[in-house]
Amino acid sequence: MIKTRFTALALAAATALTPLAAQAAEIEWLQWFAAENTDGFYDELVADFEAKHPDITVKLVTQPFGKVRESIVTDNAIGVGSDVLGLNMPWTKEFLDIGILEPLDEYLARDDNSFATSDLVEAPLGKIDGHTWMVPLNAFPFVMHVNMGLVRQAGFDAPPATWEELAEQAGAISALEDGISGIGMPFSSQPPSNGPILTFLPLLYAHGGRIMADTTPNFDNPEVVATLQFLKDMNDAGAIAPGAASRTGGVDLEEFIAGRTGFMISPGVHSSSITSRNPELEYTLVRVPTNGETAYRVHGWEIGIAADSPNKDAAWTFVNYLLSPEVNARAAQAANALPGNLAALDAVREGADETLLKQMEILSGDSPVEEMRQSPKAAASWSVMTEEIQAMLRGDQSPEEAAAAVQARWLDLAG
Amino acid sequence: MLRQMTTRGTPYLFLLPGLVILGALLSVPLYKVVEYSLYDNVIVERNPTFVGLANYTNLMTDPGYWSAGFNTVVFTVGSVLGHMVVGIGLALLVNADIAPRARTFFRSMLILPWIFTAVVVALNWQLLLNPFGLINYMLQWMGLTSEPLDWLGDPDLAMWSLLLISTWRGYPFIMVSFLSGLQTVPRELYEAAEIDGAGFWHKFWHVTLPQLKPVIFGVALLDLIWTFQLFPLVWLSTGGGPGRATEVLSTLTFRLAFVDFQFSQAATVAVSILIISAAFTLLYLRNEARRL
Repeated sequence: MIKTRFTALALAAATALTPLAAQAAEIEWLQWFAAENTDGFYDELVADFEAKHPDITVKLVTQPFGKVRESIVTDNAIGVGSDVLGLNMPWTKEFLDIGILEPLDEYLARDDNSFATSDLVEAPLGKIDGHTWMVPLNAFPFVMHVNMGLVRQAGFDAPPATWEELAEQAGAISALEDGISGIGMPFSSQPPSNGPILTFLPLLYAHGGRIMADTTPNFDNPEVVATLQFLKDMNDAGAIAPGAASRTGGVDLEEFIAGRTGFMISPGVHSSSITSRNPELEYTLVRVPTNGETAYRVHGWEIGIAADSPNKDAAWTFVNYLLSPEVNARAAQAANALPGNLAALDAVREGADETLLKQMEILSGDSPVEEMRQSPKAAASWSVMTEEIQAMLRGDQSPEEAAAAVQARWLDLAG
Repeated sequence: MLRQMTTRGTPYLFLLPGLVILGALLSVPLYKVVEYSLYDNVIVERNPTFVGLANYTNLMTDPGYWSAGFNTVVFTVGSVLGHMVVGIGLALLVNADIAPRARTFFRSMLILPWIFTAVVVALNWQLLLNPFGLINYMLQWMGLTSEPLDWLGDPDLAMWSLLLISTWRGYPFIMVSFLSGLQTVPRELYEAAEIDGAGFWHKFWHVTLPQLKPVIFGVALLDLIWTFQLFPLVWLSTGGGPGRATEVLSTLTFRLAFVDFQFSQAATVAVSILIISAAFTLLYLRNEARRL
């Protein structure tokens, strides 16, 4: 009798809870952000979201940056893709060509969003094929990290502000002693083989050049050739660390942290690794030396929704949560980056360290540029750039020939 | 009748889980790769078109494929030779009559490269071969070079450097196999050779090598199969560069798939690797069957 009553009670409870269970949605968030020195921050963020939205659970899937692009493509191909995707701007065009991304225009136009679209960092929002495909969680500019100790040792008081000063100071630092180099250039073919977008493009943008005309490759133009010539001249003068063709971005960062390189051009977000790993380093960061232009290469951690997601509304609820000024400020602070939602800027500024404040100062009047997002084959494109710049630096071709070779191969890639 | 069927069927029931796992993990991907190679561009195209052998025709006329094929042959033959020479040499050394503790110590130390993962091996060698690394420092200290060499970044040196890394990583397998083979050579043969006045080299050429020929042939073939399709060590050490100086078929497959997003073309290269590997495998199986 008791057993029967208990069963009936359990059945009644289960029936009563069925509507709730039916509404619950589980979404999966694939990203690399939690792998980047953020100490459990994203687990806490997910727990906070779930507490505020009991009808949605979020499964955090964390992979190293180098693996995420590959996983998004393969997971999508076999129909097990995540709902919310951590994205990198250069992947935009190639992902939307495969049909991985959901257009976000309709979501961004909703009245109940926790943010104003006009407050978001603009670069990732730019329309491709008539739509917006991703939103910025945070943003960081490419800057030049400076070892002031080496700059002073080489007889200079201030970091270089122009190309001419950069070449002069880098050459003087390389001449200091064996094992010390002026500037590192990571043009290795080893994956992700993206040295040119880390170093060459920021210099090009600071010179007023561009590599794309909308979605069409435009590499063989005078500004590109001038920037390649600048690299070649610095290399011939011994200002660039030897072994550029085998130097990876990781090695470049390690060499700088160890105090063996005067300058390193890379995302500003690296400042936290530098200061935490070598607090003794006499370190500062400055705008990438320019020839009068004030454009900088912008980078960031972006978020999108998978076109195949069965839980797009729940996914947007989560994205909406991440972009609210309060949450976005916390996410930016955790990564020592600028917020994707600029309404969170004041909150981030309050707790910001000196390097972040400098990035804000550098960027206050400059124009952000990100062109790789328009490239139909971004990863293949920068791999081609790497190969041709390698050949140029070892003297196998001139800057003009390198530019022409990249252009021809890009056109081939674009099909 | 039923009892007979049950008795006969029981072994197959035991085999069933293994067959199911093999079917799922081997046959399905194998089938999919071959199928992908017959379409215009799977994954990227939602509705790919069947193109028959067109991808194979493209491959045969692609200089990048032939260049990667040539590099694969150089890398495979060079690596296997390196493994054999170093492995056999070290096996002879650690088989020598020395104090048992010292012998155990050397055997344990020399097997270490086999234990490390490809990531660790690649990273360590990158540091060693760096222009500011230990190897350049030693060469300059000995006066052999005046400038540091970019071992992994110079197209003329990169393949040699890769062969050095591959030899270091792969010799322990040959060493262990050869060492176990050495234990099986009858002592009397060496004693008879010594009575005939044979020295170390004569004993090696006329006793050791002929006795171990089947072992050497077997492990060399196995090594050939593994090295032919080796991916992580090459990808992590050079990424196929500089340029395409160390691009082998396995790295070309990965590049086509995950850098260029040409999955069908990648599947076609993978099938070509499969066919060559299968030929080597048949050779190996025939050799093993002959030994038995």
